[in-house]
Amino acid sequence: MTVKWILHWTPTQGSVVNSQILNEISQCVESFNAVKDGRWKATLTFYRPNLRDPTIPSEFPRDFLGISLLEQPNKYYFIIRGNKIILEADSTILTIMEKLQSYKSKVALNFEGVQYKMGDFQMKVVKVVPNQGESLRGILIEIEYLPISSIEKAKPIMEEFLELWREVMSKKSLPGHFSQAEPHFAEYKLPDNYTSQHTAIQYAAALAQLIASAQLRG
Amino acid sequence: MECVVQGIIETQHVEALEILLQGLCGVQRERLRIHEICLKSGPNLGPVASEVRLLCDLEQAEPSWTVRHIGGAMRGAGAEQISVLVRTMVESKASKNVLRMFYLLGYKLDHELLRVGFSFHFNRGAQITVTVSSINKMLKVHATDEAVPVTPGIQLVEVTAPATGETYAEVASAVSSFCEYLAPLLHLSKPGISTGVVPTAAAAAASLMSDGGGTTL
Repeated sequence: MTVKWILHWTPTQGSVVNSQILNEISQCVESFNAVKDGRWKATLTFYRPNLRDPTIPSEFPRDFLGISLLEQPNKYYFIIRGNKIILEADSTILTIMEKLQSYKSKVALNFEGVQYKMGDFQMKVVKVVPNQGESLRGILIEIEYLPISSIEKAKPIMEEFLELWREVMSKKSLPGHFSQAEPHFAEYKLPDNYTSQHTAIQYAAALAQLIASAQLRG
Repeated sequence: MECVVQGIIETQHVEALEILLQGLCGVQRERLRIHEICLKSGPNLGPVASEVRLLCDLEQAEPSWTVRHIGGAMRGAGAEQISVLVRTMVESKASKNVLRMFYLLGYKLDHELLRVGFSFHFNRGAQITVTVSSINKMLKVHATDEAVPVTPGIQLVEVTAPATGETYAEVASAVSSFCEYLAPLLHLSKPGISTGVVPTAAAAAASLMSDGGGTTL
């Protein structure tokens, strides 16, 4: 049982994410009497159609994403955000996609997190880095409430926790704030009972926000 | 990777085959009802055309979906010497929206089938699966309730076993030796090489039906 909320760091106009901010955020989490509880990783991969003749105009999804999560090592998730669809499959689907050769992976981003435990809650401070390279592209936090799996029931508890979190963060006066991308679970036809598919959708939504804000600034 | 052989049997002898299989495997048969959807890549997608099969297991209370990719058969002198086909095969269980996902990715419906019958899973030198099924076609798209047999009176028998690059020779020999037990009722060969029904089937079936499989064939 678990419910997770994933928030992304939005820097204030003119500022950028850096490891200094990441350190400050980690300190805030530690000030909650949190205990470090290992590392975590997810990988998000963008897929592009492998077109025989790229000059022929064809309609294929532009935002076809693949996600692997450390907590589900034998599963893989495909998301087409434009069509609000998430597929959960065994990780052997990657071998099948390779054999089909119809789509190829273009860019992969690693989501590397440090996990903290604090009673019924868990938090992850996640840095977004390219698959090859170390440059920091974004910061996320994941807040997890363990005793409940109903998203609706967990909402007031999560909101309360988030308020506390924002209070702690405000003392740091960092150049930016955390915001939550609307995950639209119902549009993906997912139930109120939280699953790893909900997690995959939230990471995809957070990534889209990071990309959008980088494009706006860039 | 998998080793595979196929054969056909007249529906009137299927009950005898079931008795024989039951005796040989010592396990209960499982009912089989699979909707198989074959998809092909759209005209401009991929450097070469590709094909993928979606299998929907209709025997389950909540139908479950599997994506299956069948690759090329092993070639060369070694492959010709063995009597079973060795080919690459990858499967992945998937959520129920897998058909919609593949349509969105640009795959098109090529054909679909409904397999109805039974299967036996057991270990006999390899993890062998025997399926006996009638192949049905749909008169309307996805209308599994209105499926009609492609070859009335004839059923398909398939013997498969998972293998790896290291084990395929052993697995192939385990599959071949198992097939010998079925020889009086049907002949199994590499897919695509049809050998028809065997002349001894009626007599072997009669013998099996009379003593419930106790006779050593």
